[in-house]
Amino acid sequence: MKPHHHPDISTLMAYSAGALSSAFSAVVSAHLSVCHVCRQRLRDTDAIGGQLLNQQEGLALSDDASERLLARLQHEDKPTAPEEAAVQQRHDPDLLPAPLWPYFGRSYRELPWKWIGPGIHHIRAQNVTDDHLMLLRVAPGRSLPMHTHGGSEMTMILRGAYDDTLGHFASGDVADLDLDTEHQPVTAPGVPCICVAATDAPLLFSGWMARMLQPFVRL
Amino acid sequence: MPYPASQDTDNPVYWSAQMTAVAARQDIDAFMRIFAHYGPRVQRYLVGMGVLPSQAEELVQEAMLRVWRRAGQFDPARANVSTWLFRIARNLYIDSIRGESHWLVIQEGLEQLDELPPEDGATSAESFADGVGLDRAIDDLPPQQARMIRMSYYEAKSHSEIAKELGQPLGSVKSSLRRAFAKLQAALRTAP
Repeated sequence: MKPHHHPDISTLMAYSAGALSSAFSAVVSAHLSVCHVCRQRLRDTDAIGGQLLNQQEGLALSDDASERLLARLQHEDKPTAPEEAAVQQRHDPDLLPAPLWPYFGRSYRELPWKWIGPGIHHIRAQNVTDDHLMLLRVAPGRSLPMHTHGGSEMTMILRGAYDDTLGHFASGDVADLDLDTEHQPVTAPGVPCICVAATDAPLLFSGWMARMLQPFVRL
Repeated sequence: MPYPASQDTDNPVYWSAQMTAVAARQDIDAFMRIFAHYGPRVQRYLVGMGVLPSQAEELVQEAMLRVWRRAGQFDPARANVSTWLFRIARNLYIDSIRGESHWLVIQEGLEQLDELPPEDGATSAESFADGVGLDRAIDDLPPQQARMIRMSYYEAKSHSEIAKELGQPLGSVKSSLRRAFAKLQAALRTAP
């Protein structure tokens, strides 16, 4: 997978600095898990943090800090090999990107979709400490409910695709949108579009649902 | 003090060598030199982020134990010791202070990805110049950009918080940070 749309570099800097909310960080992490280019850029943003660490004057630790650390080393075993989650993910198409597992589980098949409107299902992540994170599944050829609503939003396509004025967004691509970007994505024909979205304000479903239903029922 | 900091403290190559000694032969002296040099800096970082000093000390110990356990994964071609420690300290901060218990597992998974052979024919990591050029580049940033970088990295302030505090539109904060990154990245990729 080679994504064509990436998070803004200022977003990666905030992620690197630990200054991005957990919902937006989850979307960035999911993108990083499929984007070699952004992992490399993240190494650069982390290097800025490392250099700032270098430049700082230290703050003295307690007198017994060295002894305590040495004592704890005595209880350390030989290092163990880390888990192979990353390898696993590459070979099973039913698995969500690993960084989304804590929020939505591992399997696409087992996602507990909730109907929220014609052609649209969603799942809200429960255990997000700040901002809002959700999965959306939109039937082919429909408009997504993700458009200007006054706050920031970041969306990553997991399956399917959509098009809007910013271009064609397919699996792995991220739309990292400024406050005032006008866009009205329409999902590509063929398969449903599944995406994960972070927003800093809860989406007002009544608002967009009304707009979406308008052509059919003349609200 | 049984482990005085070395005099050669500004040279990232020196610290990479210490780290390699820890990985190769579990060299406790090298490990404690890293602690003597970086422990107080990590403490400063965490206290700056608003962590109580006693809790910060505990996290410094935890960070060093991670350095010890994962020494074999340190790759001097990819990162300096300072970058590696920054990453560990930041991850521990997010995990324990912000209470996001998934964070460490997610980050470890992401780090493993680059240890696998590339799946899409992408080239391996570009070579990583040492931190000397970056050091100068940070000092040379215009004051406003330098301030935003510090507010972000050292106070974990979001872009909107920075915008509010400096009385600037959010878009200007983002574009200033983009410009700062371009300068710093150029320094990273150029050998001094």
